[in-house]
Amino acid sequence: MAQPLTLPVTLSSWSGAQVRVAEVLAELEALRRPELMPATRTSVLTLVVVASSRDALGEAMAGVYELGGRHPARVLCLLPDRSGDGASSGLDAEVRLLGGEAEGQAVWFEDVELVVRGEAASHLDSLIEPFTLADLPVVVWFVGELPRVDDPLLRAADVVMVDARTFGDTECFDVLTELARRVAIVDLSWHRLQPWRELLAALFESPHTRPYLPGITSARVVGRTGPRHLLAGWIADRLDLPFSEVHVEPATHVSISLAGTLPATGQHGTFEVLRLSDERVVHTRTAVDGGPSSEMVVPLPPPTAGWGVAAALSHLDRDPVYERALRSAIAVAARH
Amino acid sequence: MTDAGPPPDPVLGAHKPVYGLERAQNENPLLEGLEGERRAPPVALVVFGASGDLTARKLMPAIDRLACRRLLPAAFAVVGVARTEWSDDDFRSRMREAVKDAGPEWEAITSRFRYVAGDYAEPATFEQLQSVLDDLDRTVGTAGNRVYYLATVPTVFGPVTRALGDHGMVQPASRESFVRVVVEKPFGHDLASAHALDAELHEVLAEDQIYRIDHYLGKETVQNVLALRFANAIFEPVWNRRYVDNVQITVAESVGVGHRAGFYEQAGALRDIVQNHLLQVLAITAMEPPAVIDSQGIRDEKVKALRAVDVLGREEVLDEVVRAQYDGGWVEGEEVKGYREEDGVALGSPTETYVAMRVFVDNWRWAGVPFYLRTGKRLPKRMTEVAMEFRDVPHLPFARDLSRGLRRNALVLRIQPDEGITLRFGAKVPGQAFRVRTVSMDFSYGAAFVEEPPAAYERLLLDVMVGDPTLFIRTDEVAEAWRIVEPILDSWADDGVPLARYAAGTWGPTAADHLLEREGRHWRSP
Repeated sequence: MAQPLTLPVTLSSWSGAQVRVAEVLAELEALRRPELMPATRTSVLTLVVVASSRDALGEAMAGVYELGGRHPARVLCLLPDRSGDGASSGLDAEVRLLGGEAEGQAVWFEDVELVVRGEAASHLDSLIEPFTLADLPVVVWFVGELPRVDDPLLRAADVVMVDARTFGDTECFDVLTELARRVAIVDLSWHRLQPWRELLAALFESPHTRPYLPGITSARVVGRTGPRHLLAGWIADRLDLPFSEVHVEPATHVSISLAGTLPATGQHGTFEVLRLSDERVVHTRTAVDGGPSSEMVVPLPPPTAGWGVAAALSHLDRDPVYERALRSAIAVAARH
Repeated sequence: MTDAGPPPDPVLGAHKPVYGLERAQNENPLLEGLEGERRAPPVALVVFGASGDLTARKLMPAIDRLACRRLLPAAFAVVGVARTEWSDDDFRSRMREAVKDAGPEWEAITSRFRYVAGDYAEPATFEQLQSVLDDLDRTVGTAGNRVYYLATVPTVFGPVTRALGDHGMVQPASRESFVRVVVEKPFGHDLASAHALDAELHEVLAEDQIYRIDHYLGKETVQNVLALRFANAIFEPVWNRRYVDNVQITVAESVGVGHRAGFYEQAGALRDIVQNHLLQVLAITAMEPPAVIDSQGIRDEKVKALRAVDVLGREEVLDEVVRAQYDGGWVEGEEVKGYREEDGVALGSPTETYVAMRVFVDNWRWAGVPFYLRTGKRLPKRMTEVAMEFRDVPHLPFARDLSRGLRRNALVLRIQPDEGITLRFGAKVPGQAFRVRTVSMDFSYGAAFVEEPPAAYERLLLDVMVGDPTLFIRTDEVAEAWRIVEPILDSWADDGVPLARYAAGTWGPTAADHLLEREGRHWRSP
């Protein structure tokens, strides 16, 4: 697969306690003094990371840094601290200029971390606009907890990014369904499942297997809580399967099995996309009565956070298929 | 929630648009939302010349990349055909070695590879091939779909195609299946031989079955020229004679002739690069906007642009074309031999390793704008670019001594290796004086997009499998390119044009500089 991304290095930084936004912006500008100007600055979005804790922020930023050399963005990290009293209201800031390499060219990008204390933590939306890059989409990534549907931050976002898998339950689907009515959602969990979706779809791209598609009668999806429900919801929705015929079971890795009969002849077929072990490969298997059987081994993309974020950031539009899958996943979860 | 299936959707509509009862019999609802990704249908890829360099070096890595991107179907197989006496296992093992650092997918794919050893002139070779293909249809499910890839020397293009026709192997088995033939360049060595080759191919194949491959067109950044021109409102208005002073297209290689001396001695830079790669880049740069970006729209416009290129008369070749050959020198820190000292090259070889020329595209858009084309081996670095230099401003209001560093505006499309766009313009130097100088604004594709672009062969192989000929050369394009190049070949055949010399590691002979300097212009320093 593609070249691994090299982690960017911090070229220079500045930090300050109890600062104002204007100071932070001035320091941000100062970091880009002309002596280092040959490096390319190509930004494709403003990424705002809203984290519920410093640990959650650290995990998200690992992915962002890994990504930075290839998909540069101005990154604004907001860490609301609502624990203090009103007297400690204010901002602490840290600004970093990072340098990475893409295709042999030096690329710079900035990240700004703001710890927002006290009353200001209830007005995070007011902190976004001063830092956005003109004309570029604003992606707000909620790490650790989902926003309320009336969260003012949603107004500042062109796209909301989440990772449903991290919540470890299926209740998040209800919130995501509501959010999706208001703003485009990019779910890292959904993008991680894309190889399974592509491979399952591809199993029916042969003239020997396509006729089985209307005759699929049952589906079994195994995997972790969340991903397996989402995938099962997608299958139920796409194939109009009754929820009673869609079975989900817990497992370490995601696998799908479909079974069906050819409506005209009653011939039987099974279609599987299986991840059998920790090895990052997926096996596909097709077996149809009287037809050719096929097997394929396909590598999965690297497991690093950066690749997941990169894949997700490449699709910043509303995804109706995902939204339908979410709604179906709620029904699947209700049965299991 | 009931067991009746998903409820009507309050936001997206009560009725599902493409599935459920309304779904067409043939649609695959699982594909919806996996947009934009074209996937190959079941197919057997038959490679003639399977024991050769191209197969191992380009085609196999491309197939593995397609598999890794999940763009190949399970019902996919490769059948190698060549004279070399290999077994199926020999072929599989060689092809496994051809892809370095491949994952477990490559082992699985190559396990379905088959091999037919035989002479292309022997009917038995094709009978055996047919039998293998029938077997693959039964066991792998390749559904009668065939792509025949002629990775052979050009002399066997005709015989292999004829033999395929004689054995009934070019007719699709059903209305749903397809048979396509990929032909590698060179497409003839002059206009007459190109016509002859076409006639041979057309004896058994329809034009829409023929995919003439020029891997340059598969490069992502060549396609990006189309995106830059036709997806932006700001470039196209100045993309014409009113604003453009000259266009410079450079295809530079730092390598020498290497192991290709046998071929290169017969071809030279004009046939090897100008007739195909360079003129294709010129066509894409100069063409009019097509109504639709599809195979007909783009190729129709490219042909029109090539047709507008003014063909040089024999006398004009002397003034407008420079041919040259490299002597020894230093390239990228290494001392290298001159062309005539290379293995397989005749002592007094007249073959050109460098061509520079000036042509005009005589149409409403480009009349009077010189297009300077150059290509060469053993130049200082490998790079391909299109540079459009704009006219001077009508009046420069700055003091001459404060604006000496100012050069014409230029838009440079860097095709390889550092794909991107550079815009050259004037800016004020900070300070009390109004001093202006030229600065560059760079855009790097690699820095802006996270997706790794497909390699040229990967892109083009998939195009053939899905039946998209947009990036392949149509027969009339081939003919137009030869029409431009042939008078130059004729002129050189008379020894009318001197063969200039240049030291390896330089940008070519001084005669090439004179092509521009006589008009007050200069080659860009890429």
